[in-house]
Amino acid sequence: MLETSKKTKEYRSVMEKIADKFRKKSIWMLHYCTGCGAIELPPTMTSRFDMERFGMVPMVTPRQADVLLITGYLSIKTLRRVITVYEQMNSPKYVVGFGSCPINGGMYWKSHSTINQLDKYIPVDLWIAGCMPRPEAVMSSFKKLEDLIDTGDAKGWRDYEKRNSWYKKNQKEIFDNYGVM
Amino acid sequence: MEKIITLLMPLIAFIIGGFFIGYGRKFTARIQNRYGPPIEQFFYDVGKTLSKVRNISHGAMFDVSVMMAATGAMVSLYFVPIFNLKMFSFQGDTLVLMYLLVIGPLGMALGAGEAANPNASIGISRALTAMVGYEVPFVIALIAVMHLSKSTNLFVITTSQSGWLHWNMIQLPLAFIATMVALQGKLNEKPFELIIAPHEIATGPLVEFGGKYLGFLQINHALHLFLELAIIVDLFLGGGGFFVFLLKMLAVFTVVLIINAIYPRYKTEEAINFWMGIPTILAIISLVILVYVR
Repeated sequence: MLETSKKTKEYRSVMEKIADKFRKKSIWMLHYCTGCGAIELPPTMTSRFDMERFGMVPMVTPRQADVLLITGYLSIKTLRRVITVYEQMNSPKYVVGFGSCPINGGMYWKSHSTINQLDKYIPVDLWIAGCMPRPEAVMSSFKKLEDLIDTGDAKGWRDYEKRNSWYKKNQKEIFDNYGVM
Repeated sequence: MEKIITLLMPLIAFIIGGFFIGYGRKFTARIQNRYGPPIEQFFYDVGKTLSKVRNISHGAMFDVSVMMAATGAMVSLYFVPIFNLKMFSFQGDTLVLMYLLVIGPLGMALGAGEAANPNASIGISRALTAMVGYEVPFVIALIAVMHLSKSTNLFVITTSQSGWLHWNMIQLPLAFIATMVALQGKLNEKPFELIIAPHEIATGPLVEFGGKYLGFLQINHALHLFLELAIIVDLFLGGGGFFVFLLKMLAVFTVVLIINAIYPRYKTEEAINFWMGIPTILAIISLVILVYVR
């Protein structure tokens, strides 16, 4: 189900709070551009809307990355690879859904080969509306992600470990319906 | 007091190396007409990687290899006189240093072999091939410096350069140029960025290191940067007290950064061809002039 993030009063130890302060100042994104929304990433990374001043750097391998950006629509063929990449990342890890396609299917909601609701297959921490969101929207949503990390609300990776069977059931359902690919 | 500083030298090197890396990113960003990350960004990166909860390992050799890489840099630090302190220098320690500097890439090679990723194997073969390339002009320039100071003790080489007219940079300019070209390869800066070529081979040997292992490799990077710059300042610029030493290291690093920001990346065979060509010829000319003319 779609989970809304609310400020929880969970207990975090002192070391965890200090670790969250470090994690919010250096977020490394995975340079894996999944859909057509990735066209807005190069302007965000280069000199005009400089992303590196917040500590965000693109990394090329999932072992070193923290945040996975699902930019745009996800076909079922790509979803299989995205799940492999997500499970290769080291926790704590975050997922951000760009555009309206991960939220409700967007422009391709009636297509036979794209998914309509990303939250059923991997846990998502932050959604960004738009088709595509401009670099200013991308930067302010990264600021929102930093605030979520700071208060300890970006808990998608814990949810994946706790409700792993539910996620696997949804994934198996869509892969079985689609066929061998 | 000197003994305490000698004991704590890896910690001092880590802090200073971290600020140098932050300065490097800020300087490169300003060349590219943008603001860069804050100067203390390196420490945020290390804190984040060391606080990862799940760290994926590939076996026992993988765990040992990061320790070996960091240990190589730390042990080499003790043989280089820094801030005019004679740490553990002895007669012949220049040659020992050349051997100790190989332990870092060797540790990474063992870890990359354990990870069994083809990107890592390609990266490590490029790293060790590049080492064959840049050692040639560096060693010939080193022989010229050792002949001029009549000693292989790094402390004697450093303290025999009194007054700026006697710096080895002024006395042996061609050897200095050859060493600066070799330094671009050692520090993995363009145009010789062969080892960690991010978008070509997915960061080469670092491709399977994540979490706490990557934190250790970043610590190794900071120590290695400090060590290489300190060796250059000792050999050619006559190292001084605390602030003078840091200023000289900053000047050398700025020249490296300016060249890094302009050039693209060489291929491996082009880089080896270049290193065996002009820098070696310059170093040999410098050695011949020193031995026969003076």
